[in-house]
Amino acid sequence: MRLTERVRGDNKSRKPQREMMLQQTEIEVGGCKIGMRRGGQGERLLFLHGAQGLNGHEPGLEALAAHFDVIAPDHPGFGQSELAATVDDVGDLALFYLDLLDVLNLDEVHVVGQCLGGWLALEIAIRNASRLKTLVLVNSAGLRLNGVPRADMFACSEDDLLKLLFAGTGGSAWLKAWRETPDVEDIYDRNRAAAARYSWSPRLCNPKLDRWLHRVAVPTHIVWGREDRVIPPAYAEALKDRIPGATVTLVPDCAHMLHLEQPQAFVGEIAKFIRSAAR
Amino acid sequence: MKILMFHLMPYAHLDMSFSQKYRAAWVVLPNTYFDPKKGHELYNRYLDELELAAELGFDGVSVNEHHQNAYGLMPSPVVTAAALSRRTKSARIAILGNAFCLREHPLTLAEEHAMIDCITGGRLISGMVRGIGAEYFSLGTNPAYSHARFQEAHDLVVEAWTKPGPFSFEGKYYHFDYVNVWPRPYQQPHPPIWAPSTGSIETIEWAAHPSRKYVYLQAYSPTQSVARYLNYYRECAQRMYGYTASSDRIGWSTPVYVSDTDQKARDEAKPHIEILFNKLLRLPFEMLFPPGYLSAKSLKNMRTHKRSVSGQEHTVDTLIEQGIIVCGSPDTVRKQFIDTHRLLGFQNLLCLMQFGTLPRELTERNIRLFAREVMPALQALTDKEYGGMEIRAAE
Repeated sequence: MRLTERVRGDNKSRKPQREMMLQQTEIEVGGCKIGMRRGGQGERLLFLHGAQGLNGHEPGLEALAAHFDVIAPDHPGFGQSELAATVDDVGDLALFYLDLLDVLNLDEVHVVGQCLGGWLALEIAIRNASRLKTLVLVNSAGLRLNGVPRADMFACSEDDLLKLLFAGTGGSAWLKAWRETPDVEDIYDRNRAAAARYSWSPRLCNPKLDRWLHRVAVPTHIVWGREDRVIPPAYAEALKDRIPGATVTLVPDCAHMLHLEQPQAFVGEIAKFIRSAAR
Repeated sequence: MKILMFHLMPYAHLDMSFSQKYRAAWVVLPNTYFDPKKGHELYNRYLDELELAAELGFDGVSVNEHHQNAYGLMPSPVVTAAALSRRTKSARIAILGNAFCLREHPLTLAEEHAMIDCITGGRLISGMVRGIGAEYFSLGTNPAYSHARFQEAHDLVVEAWTKPGPFSFEGKYYHFDYVNVWPRPYQQPHPPIWAPSTGSIETIEWAAHPSRKYVYLQAYSPTQSVARYLNYYRECAQRMYGYTASSDRIGWSTPVYVSDTDQKARDEAKPHIEILFNKLLRLPFEMLFPPGYLSAKSLKNMRTHKRSVSGQEHTVDTLIEQGIIVCGSPDTVRKQFIDTHRLLGFQNLLCLMQFGTLPRELTERNIRLFAREVMPALQALTDKEYGGMEIRAAE
């Protein structure tokens, strides 16, 4: 906890005028301590982060908290969360999150997943969607399309990775600045190791997932940074074709990290979709 | 002291301008750079070199495993070890090492090692390694589980070699209903197991454990690191496990080049050793250490020091100065090994007699000169010549 306070302190010292909506808390799921950010008011929204983990006070999440009660855990092994002895892969992770939803007793929850988190959301939804109200997939991993080349995040240097994740320089500058705060290197290393744990091979996908996507029985919207090279927009179309009733928006001037690079588009798409799904 | 000749079998005909286009001679370097006709010549030449060493009285010959690269052309060292089995008579055949844990079926390697051990009448040394980080890109094995898989693969293989089969093995990563390896190894209970490493506290603590007491081999390191890690084995045995490690449990692996004079040795080795370190061995940090491959603590150390052998531009002079290679006249080389042995007492020495683009003639002369002028004095070294290590008394 102390670590988080320090990181938040650094953030505040740079932007003293800004009050952060999301607060760090901790819960326990099956004996595993899970770090979690929570804040905002409205319907409940579970944000499942991607392979890069949660990076300080992400502008996209802060803006979401103006519309929703945002719940953003660190997956086991990421950020402030311990590794869970029960979780080796994304299938395990999905069952772990079903336990987490039980612990928090969340019903009618909107789930938003980016990258690895989108894959996780799909694995949850095909198993048990009874606590889910809607699903938003943001530059989501999980599928494998033959013949669509993807860039390898794990083979990049830190600098090249920043170039790969963003279309422009605004988002990468933000992420770079956060990563240069003290103690963050440990979290960066932890996040990378945890991401490898769940998604090294096959890289960022479950080749069997597309057999079961017809089971995604909640209203689903797909939002994608059009310049994404980690998971190119062809995947957005492929997901749309496989998930009953799903819709797609491609966002220009944006790559893999929509929530950091175009936070307004990110929040706008989510809020608009959830409003329309309620009708 | 036991002296082994080690070979990497590099692709010496590599067009060295590759480095302007590719980040490494590993993983991403297209295999169109490899000409099979030249490969044919090289493999046979390299095997000749190892066979020559065995004839000239080296205690063993050694090969190792690397994948998808120009640095070392032995994705399966079992193949080269098998080729050497029938062409050598008394030398040890040391596979240093094989990455059992990279495989989905470590038992195939357990079988192959047992075959070589039977064919050679018990001359095999089995090295067990995790493979370097780049291997995890090449074979797709998850680096985050590498340590745990390494240990489980080891347990499986040792059980398969020692426990009467058939039995079932229920691990976390490996599951077999019928473990019943035919043939059983010639050496009982099993071939000696060595643990080569470029420096890992975790590996040393594992190798030195009283139930194992495996030979720890320190490779590619400045003298200071060799001293630190080899002494750590002894310390670890004494302090952590309460026994005195025997000097034949530790070894040093280093490139060696001998010529008539110090200057001549430097001049001859220079272009070839610099290609090894600056071209073939160079790897970007993220390829050398994929996520989860190192423990958090080791990774932090690695980041802080950033002094990994493959990270800096080397010259023959810096390599000699730091003790990463041993190069000079027979007198100089002999003296350096005797001095280092007095300090560290290792009873195994693995000499890389061919490196980078070092051509056949120079390699052969290196082997012959070393065997005649240096090796006899080193083979005579025992614990009597070791100065001993002061272990600061914990009590």
